[in-house]
Amino acid sequence: MDSAGGVGRMKLNTKMRVNRITDEVWEIPMTEKSGMLVPARIYATPTILRSMDAGVFEQVTNVACLPGVRRYVLCMPDGHWGYGFPIGGVAAFDVRTGIISPGGVGYDVNCGMRLIRTNLTREDVQPYLEQLMTELFRRVPAGVGASGFVRLDHASFDEVMTRGARWCIERGFGWHRDLEAIEEGGCIAGVDPSTVSDQARNRGMNQLGTLGSGNHYLEVQVVSTDRVFDQETALAWGITGHDQIVVMVHCGSRGFGHQVASDYLKVFEKAMRRYGISVKDQQLACAPFASVEGQDYFSAMNCAANTAFANRQVITHQIREAFSAVLGRSAEEMEMELVYDVAHNIAKVERYPEGDLVVHRKGSTRALGPGSPELPPQYRTTGQPVICGGSMETGSYLLAGTHGAMQDTFASTMHGAGRTMSRAQAKKSIRGEQLQQEMKRRGILVKAVSMSGLAEEAGFAYKDISEVVETVDRAGITKKVAELRPIGNIKG
Amino acid sequence: MSHSFYFLDDIAIADLAFDASGNSLQELFHGATCAVIEALADPGTVGATWRQTIERTDEDPAELLFDWLSDLVYWKDAAGVVFSRTELTLTCQDHGCWKLTGVLYGEPVNGSAQTLRSDVKGITKHLYQLSQNGGRWTVRVVLDV
Repeated sequence: MDSAGGVGRMKLNTKMRVNRITDEVWEIPMTEKSGMLVPARIYATPTILRSMDAGVFEQVTNVACLPGVRRYVLCMPDGHWGYGFPIGGVAAFDVRTGIISPGGVGYDVNCGMRLIRTNLTREDVQPYLEQLMTELFRRVPAGVGASGFVRLDHASFDEVMTRGARWCIERGFGWHRDLEAIEEGGCIAGVDPSTVSDQARNRGMNQLGTLGSGNHYLEVQVVSTDRVFDQETALAWGITGHDQIVVMVHCGSRGFGHQVASDYLKVFEKAMRRYGISVKDQQLACAPFASVEGQDYFSAMNCAANTAFANRQVITHQIREAFSAVLGRSAEEMEMELVYDVAHNIAKVERYPEGDLVVHRKGSTRALGPGSPELPPQYRTTGQPVICGGSMETGSYLLAGTHGAMQDTFASTMHGAGRTMSRAQAKKSIRGEQLQQEMKRRGILVKAVSMSGLAEEAGFAYKDISEVVETVDRAGITKKVAELRPIGNIKG
Repeated sequence: MSHSFYFLDDIAIADLAFDASGNSLQELFHGATCAVIEALADPGTVGATWRQTIERTDEDPAELLFDWLSDLVYWKDAAGVVFSRTELTLTCQDHGCWKLTGVLYGEPVNGSAQTLRSDVKGITKHLYQLSQNGGRWTVRVVLDV
């Protein structure tokens, strides 16, 4: 828009007034849409703001109309259109007067990132890379209809829902100390599996230890010394540089979480009439957080979140087994320790100056700063690790939470690169086989179940993650620690 | 049969979207079902060793189609299958309720024999609209992948 006092001569994909707060923070005032209860804030450089699709502006302002919303609705620089809430969206609602919405969590409940470090270097792994990727591809099922090796009956699946990653550790799928490096210790307490439908159970029971498809992946990455930006923090987390090998996992609760979201969208469509709530988009269906329906969804969502923690834990076990099998050393010898595991699709009750709030993060990562009592001791001085996945061609980042995030963004930051091109367009631009060959020439070995799915994930379909990272770093809501470059990738 | 469907380029950048149409509601249902089958895998590479009959009723044909398409996603995960074809009949009952009897044919997922595509996780209500215009029924569906 061209408006004095707004964004000057910048052309945006909206007619709404957008005011500059800082070079990285932009605000849509409450006057721009009828029913807004708080302003909306977008974190972006001018370049990123210009590239943001119209859906972002529409959706953040729709969310700002929901009952009980507090302070601001936020969108991170990797934001783009989503269902109801934008991807990259953050919104906090009062626990007494506010709502909870599956649209604010995302269909893939507790989709998240996990980073595993090693004491290996690229020199150690490169001669075995082809063999290693083949072994990882064999042990970590991906793609349509993939089922995992863990066989569960209904009773044991209930235990996964209630115990999360702890259930896995008790069965030998990991190390006890892994739990200290997972958000919530890998297990959100107080869930009730009776809030989960039989359909959701049937979809989820065979999927433990599977990656899924879409933008989910398992990636072997390298950390070079010149790409470590905060050496002290990196060392505190066991990131040494010197072409160190790390492994990143991006996946969530698979069909189980999606069914939970779909089930409760239906429940909430009816509940809204009963509670007199109207929304500007059917995908914003919600219920009062304190209502029976709201509490049931919160429980079912946390069941799915625990299942996602368990999913990434079983995958971690398989990664350790694959490395051991190929490199002939134990996972302990290779010091395959978790750096961290964090969700980017979740709703959590957290305490802020406004009181207890249900913070919805959808494509946004919690980013607790140094000194946060919720953090385990090993992260108290550094702040929480934040793992941001880029495209499979360009690399990913490790960031640290800050006091700034806790003050300004409900302790939230970015989660990845963010798409700029549709899947259909990406497939028209390149064939999967061609992309696989081009990446191989650039030193990135890709194993994919679906070649069309691979083409959809080409690097050019995503924003430049470095610019996204620079935005949150300059805005002070996370700080850069290290960049992680891919050498091997598994896709569904 | 004169149903048709085509995938849309720029409706949902992170997901998949299609429009389906037909000269009757039954044809429309068939077209939309074929679109979901195609989104999951190339049906020409999928056999028919697995079969599931599903019956559903609803007063609202849009809700009936939504639930039926969601059934495909459910069986894909619950039975670990992809689909080759469908047979379906749609009838309007005396009391104004629509009844769908659908049969899904497919086989267990086998990446070495089938051309697998997107792991559709759900049918969404984003832009979801079923309408009739000039005797032709149409629907727009966005799939979450």
